[in-house]
Amino acid sequence: MNTLTTIDELAFAPPLQQEVLEDTTSDHALLEATRTGDQDAFAELVSRYRNQITSYIYRMTSDYDGAVDLAQETFVRVYRARDRYQRSYAFSTYIYRIATNLAISELRKRKRRKLVSLTGFFQQSDGSEPQELNPPDLRPLQDSELVDAERRNAVQRAIGTLPEKYRAPLILRDVEGRSYDEIAKILETSEGTVKSRISRARGFLREKMRAYL
Amino acid sequence: MKERQCEVIRRELDDLTLGDEGSTAVTQHLRECGECREFHQKQTRLRQIVGSLGTVEAPPDFDFRLRARLANESSSAGFHLRAFQWSSAKGFAAVAMLLVFVGGVVYVRTISNPPAGPVAVQREEPVKPPVKPVEDKVVAPVQPPQVALNEVSDTVARKGRGTERVVRPQKRTPVSMDFSSERAETISNSSRQSTIFPIDASQQSFTVSLDDGRGNARTISLPTISFGSQRVIPTRANQFTQKGVWY
Repeated sequence: MNTLTTIDELAFAPPLQQEVLEDTTSDHALLEATRTGDQDAFAELVSRYRNQITSYIYRMTSDYDGAVDLAQETFVRVYRARDRYQRSYAFSTYIYRIATNLAISELRKRKRRKLVSLTGFFQQSDGSEPQELNPPDLRPLQDSELVDAERRNAVQRAIGTLPEKYRAPLILRDVEGRSYDEIAKILETSEGTVKSRISRARGFLREKMRAYL
Repeated sequence: MKERQCEVIRRELDDLTLGDEGSTAVTQHLRECGECREFHQKQTRLRQIVGSLGTVEAPPDFDFRLRARLANESSSAGFHLRAFQWSSAKGFAAVAMLLVFVGGVVYVRTISNPPAGPVAVQREEPVKPPVKPVEDKVVAPVQPPQVALNEVSDTVARKGRGTERVVRPQKRTPVSMDFSSERAETISNSSRQSTIFPIDASQQSFTVSLDDGRGNARTISLPTISFGSQRVIPTRANQFTQKGVWY
């Protein structure tokens, strides 16, 4: 039986056990278990990331139902590629990269569909941006909660107007709170490019949100 | 100079995590520069608003729908696999049937049209009165041919090169060959020595079958033989009389 002789041993013993426990429930371990056929492990991964991925795609696309579908597609792709997954990246980076690609693909599809959409009929003659069919009510609201809701809607709409190459890093940084390094890995670009794009995106938003700042 | 400094400070402010104060240089600059201070306030406010968007929750049936989707994908993958197997089985069956059909056709054609092997021609004794055996080896081609052959195979020609004078046919010219040294071993008539063949006169044609004894046979059909008014008419008056015999 081992006996503790110094206070240091007492201090270091629990963290080692904690580390082992965390390792068995890490994302990598869960995906490894999924690879061997453990469905519960995959369910655990889904429960960890379903809200984050759904929210991220929703911020990117501004369409909740579509975001849910794309989030499910993200998990389907993770499941399908479980045998090809490499542990060189964090699992969160991996799944966010899949979600980003799906969201950008969806935005591009929408852009193609927009060419024949009805909004073209409401485009103003002076060449400015087309009006939406259901334009937002810009009148000030009385209740502070409603004001906050209105501000969130406005910022969501403003984010929706950003080009996709600025939108993704801005959401990952300011909404999701990811580090520059992680964003660079997700978007497969350099950290400097990420910083530059985020700065440009904030500049765009400042212009569009001038009334709320 | 001041613009350059403001640009550097703003870049550093952009990179800061929300709530961080930044370096002392930044703090000092913000105290002195009103534009950068205003920029920083607006930027902080904007980031707070964007950050307040928060997380949108997935619907409660997210897991259920995902499981259904995965199950559907796996079953459809199985369906694709089964469809592939079924289609490949059908393909193999079609190929097998085609092979059987082609083989059958080839077999039937082989049965109905046996390959023409080397033709061995044996001379049949001409129908002529004298029983005297032929002594000369060479028959003059200008004479009326005893046996006229249109074609002689190379095999026979090579085999009989030493003993026979072979005239190779060209453009189906009549060729006379002397087979006096090689008599046919078998003739249809049992009476080998006899040159008289009883023929049923009711037959409209005259057929001679020649066999070289090595399995090669040739049947020659001759047109109806007539001797003018002397054509033999079978007589049924006397049943004991030989039918259709001419001398």
